[in-house]
Amino acid sequence: MMDDSEIRQRFAQLREADQESAPSFAQTYVRTRARRSLRATRRVRALVIATAAAVVIAAIGLAYARSLSPPAATPEIATWRAPSDVLLRIPGSELLGEMPALGASVLDTMIPKPSNRGI
Amino acid sequence: MDEVELKLQLERAHADCFGWAMACCGRDRDDAEEVLQTVYLTVLDGRARYDGRSTFRTWLFGVIRRTAASERRKAWLRGLLLEREVGIEKRGAGILAPNPFAPPDAEVEHESRRDGLRHALGHLAKRQREVLQLVFYHDLTVEEAAAVMHVSVGSARTHYARGKANLAAMLGDAKEL
Repeated sequence: MMDDSEIRQRFAQLREADQESAPSFAQTYVRTRARRSLRATRRVRALVIATAAAVVIAAIGLAYARSLSPPAATPEIATWRAPSDVLLRIPGSELLGEMPALGASVLDTMIPKPSNRGI
Repeated sequence: MDEVELKLQLERAHADCFGWAMACCGRDRDDAEEVLQTVYLTVLDGRARYDGRSTFRTWLFGVIRRTAASERRKAWLRGLLLEREVGIEKRGAGILAPNPFAPPDAEVEHESRRDGLRHALGHLAKRQREVLQLVFYHDLTVEEAAAVMHVSVGSARTHYARGKANLAAMLGDAKEL
């Protein structure tokens, strides 16, 4: 039966052989750093892609939601007044806005009655 | 521990770590290098932190062991096992080919002894192989080996005793032949 020292000796030979073929720390470290920067680049790229995808999905969702909702703008248009409507007001336009009564004169509204003058 | 200190500690343990990574990767040099790079990246990025409960080397060996296991699972998931087998066959064919630059007799004997040990280790159960590697190759105590392997000391002792007996028997048989 083989004793501990012989087993230890065999392992020592194996260790020596491994150490001869081992890459240097500097070499491994440089590769590690390269992988680190590559991973960081990949992360940034993934983040950009995810953000862009989220924006596109949100935009599509909004557009779809708008297309589904009832036309809420219709009553607003009915009550809407253009800012330039004020230009359409002309002197005496209030006369045109009322229906003249029978027996009445347009002048009644414009000329004060004699009683109003205090005669 | 800051990055400079970590780097220094890794540099000190590098040769030992490579040997352990080789053992964890079935003595595949490329896999061992890749595992070691992943481990250094994990440690330097702070994803694995040394808490001072054991020696730095023991802790690092534990990280290497877990990383190697994780890489093995990933490789299996990717279905790379088949490719690896093809690679081993090719490498095996290379070993059998005659070498015009044959080393001197003493070196041949050393190489044959190393091959014998590698072969015998390959036939041991995983835990037995690990504990023997940690004790005989890395000069760890059985208690430290148990910490690396995440098993109880009693379990590590059992694996050690059985592994040593099996290894001695295999190496003895090879010697008689």
